[in-house]
Amino acid sequence: MTTEPKAMNYELNTSIANLRDLRASDLSAYDAIYLGDIFCRLYEGNFLERSEDLREGIHILHDQGKRAYVATYAAPRNDFLPRIRKVLEVAAAAGAHAVEVHNLGILKIAHDEFPGLPTHIGGFANVYTDAGVEVLGGLGAVRFTPNYELSLDEIHEITAACKVPMELLVHGKMPLGISDYCFLLEYEEKWGVKCPDLCQKDLFLRQGDWAMKSVGKGILSGKDVCMLEHLPRLVADDHRHFRIETVSETPVYRREIAAVYRRALACAMEGPMEQDPDWWQVLRSHARVGLCNGFYFGKSGMDYAGIRPEALGSFLTISPSMQ
Amino acid sequence: MAILLAPGGSPEAVHAALDAGADAVYVGLKGWSRGGGRGELTWEQLVTCQHRVASTGRELQIAINIIPKRQERAWLFEYIPPLLDLGIRTLIVNDVGILRWLRRQFPAVRLTASIGCGAETVSDVAFFRDLGADAVVLPGTVSPDEIREIRAVQGIAIEVMVHMVEEFVLLGKCWMPSYVHLKPSPLPERAHASGIPEGADRGLRLTGSMKRGGVGACFKICQQPWELFENDRWRDTRLFPSRQISRMAEVRAYVEAGAGILKLQGRSLPIEQLRPLVRRYRDILDGRSATQMVGEPAALPVSWTVIGR
Repeated sequence: MTTEPKAMNYELNTSIANLRDLRASDLSAYDAIYLGDIFCRLYEGNFLERSEDLREGIHILHDQGKRAYVATYAAPRNDFLPRIRKVLEVAAAAGAHAVEVHNLGILKIAHDEFPGLPTHIGGFANVYTDAGVEVLGGLGAVRFTPNYELSLDEIHEITAACKVPMELLVHGKMPLGISDYCFLLEYEEKWGVKCPDLCQKDLFLRQGDWAMKSVGKGILSGKDVCMLEHLPRLVADDHRHFRIETVSETPVYRREIAAVYRRALACAMEGPMEQDPDWWQVLRSHARVGLCNGFYFGKSGMDYAGIRPEALGSFLTISPSMQ
Repeated sequence: MAILLAPGGSPEAVHAALDAGADAVYVGLKGWSRGGGRGELTWEQLVTCQHRVASTGRELQIAINIIPKRQERAWLFEYIPPLLDLGIRTLIVNDVGILRWLRRQFPAVRLTASIGCGAETVSDVAFFRDLGADAVVLPGTVSPDEIREIRAVQGIAIEVMVHMVEEFVLLGKCWMPSYVHLKPSPLPERAHASGIPEGADRGLRLTGSMKRGGVGACFKICQQPWELFENDRWRDTRLFPSRQISRMAEVRAYVEAGAGILKLQGRSLPIEQLRPLVRRYRDILDGRSATQMVGEPAALPVSWTVIGR
C-alpha cells in the first residue's frame, strides 16, 4: 500500500543506485531517496537501466512512506535518450515524486514530454547564479542543487533573489567531475575483475597529501563533506533540503550517518544544537580520508572550517612501507 | 561551405590565423573570458583586431564565456553596445542565464553556446536553440554520425571543436582543481570606475573552476601522476587518460553531417603552431590533397593527427 510521506519541515535524502542496495539499506532516518546512478549505464544493477527494478524501487519507497525521486544521467549522449525517456515514463507512471536532472537536454525532454513530473536540478547542471535558476525554473524545475563550488554566501545571494528551495549536500563524498571514459576498464585483464564489478571496489586516487575517490566515470572528493556542526547556520538560512551522498557507500554508512544527521537536524530545528561526541565518533569512523566542508566557506573544497577539524582518516597516513 | 573558426590569443595570433586561411577568429575580452589571462585581448587590441579582420571580410567573435556574479553582470553588459558599434556580431557565452539575458536585450547579436555549456546531444542542442542561441559548440568527441542526428534540430548552427584536448573529465563538469586549491580573483577593473581606489579590496568574483571563467584556474592536477589504491593497497601509479583530438580525417564527414562551423581550440597556442594548424584545416576544407597544398605541408606534431588514446 502506498502511503504519503508525513508532513515535514525539512527533508533528509540520499541516493541509491540499485535494488540490491535499496533492499539492504535501513532508510528509517531518511525522508526521500534518489534512485539510480548518474555516472554510468553499466553500473551494477543501475535502476536507470532496469525498468522493473525502478518500478519496484519506487513502490518500496512508497510503502515505507518515503518520497521517491529518480535520478538521471549527468552526461548523456544521443544513444542514451531513448532509455532516458523510458526512465521518465516509468517514473511518472509509478508515481515518483520528482526526477533529478543534471543535463539541460534531459530537462527539456522532461518539461516537454512529461510536464506533470516535477524536476529537481542536480549539481552537474551548473547552477551558479540567480539568472541560471530563473531559466531552469521556467522549464519547470522546482528545486535546485547549486554547483558544489558555491559558498553559502553565494547560495544565499541566489535564494535572496529567486526565493527557490535549494538542496544542499551536508555529508558524503562530493562529486568533482564526470568523464565519458572509464579508466578502470584498463584493469579488467590485469586485475581479473570485469565491469561492472570494478567500480564496486573501494578505489582512491592519491596525489601527495590529498585524495579523491574513483567510481569509474565519476570522480568524488576523497574527504567526506561534513556540515554537522554548521547545521544551525543552514537552518537559519532557511535551507530545508539536505542530502547525504551515499551512492558509492555501504548500507552501514548510509544508516549510521543518516542517524547522526537526523538527530542533529532535529536539535538544530528546535533550538541550540548541542553536539553529541558520539556523533563525531560515528562520522570519523566512516571518513577514510577525513572531513571537509566542500566549498561552503569560500575555501578550497577539501578544507575544513570549524571547531572539529581533527577528523582525519587513516588513508592519507599510509606510509610507503605499507604500500 | 563550412566556416573555419580559429583561436586568437593575441593580436599576432589573430593576424596569423587570418593569413593561414581562417574564415573567422575568436578572441577573449580581457577579464571576461574563460581561462583568465591566458590569451585575452585588451579593448584597444580588440579594436585593432576587429578593424583588421573586418577589412578582410571575415569575422571576429568575442568570447565572454565567464559566469559573472550578480553585480558583475551589469558591468559586463556595459561592454555589449560598444562591441556592437565596433561591428562585432557574435558573442560566445557559457551560462544559460547570461545567454537568455543577452538574447532579450540584444536581439541582433548572434549568440553561441560555448563548449563549456556541455552540450553533447540532440536534446541539448534543442535546449539551447529554444533558449535563443544561434550556434552551439560540440566537442570533437561527438562523432559525425551523432552530428547527423543532431542536425535534425533546425534553427541553430552546429559548431564542432575538431581540434581540442580531451581531458579525462568533461569540459564544464570538473571542479577537481578548486577542490585542491582555490585561487580567489578580484573583481575586474571596471570596479575602478565606481570610485574604488587602486589597490583597494574591490571584492572577489565567483571563484573556482574554469567553468566560472575569468577567475577560473586549472592547475592541471589531472596531468600529474596518481597513485591508485584499492582500500589501503597500492595498485598502480598512473595518469588520467587524456588525448589531443584533431579530426582532420573526418572533416568532410562532419561537414556532410551538418556541421556548419569547424572550430579549433587553442587561444594559448604559440603562433608557430597555430599557423600550420589553421593552414592544414584550410587545405582540408578546400579539398586540397597533400600534393596540392600550397608550399610545404604544414608541419604538425604526430599526436595532432590521431584520435587514439
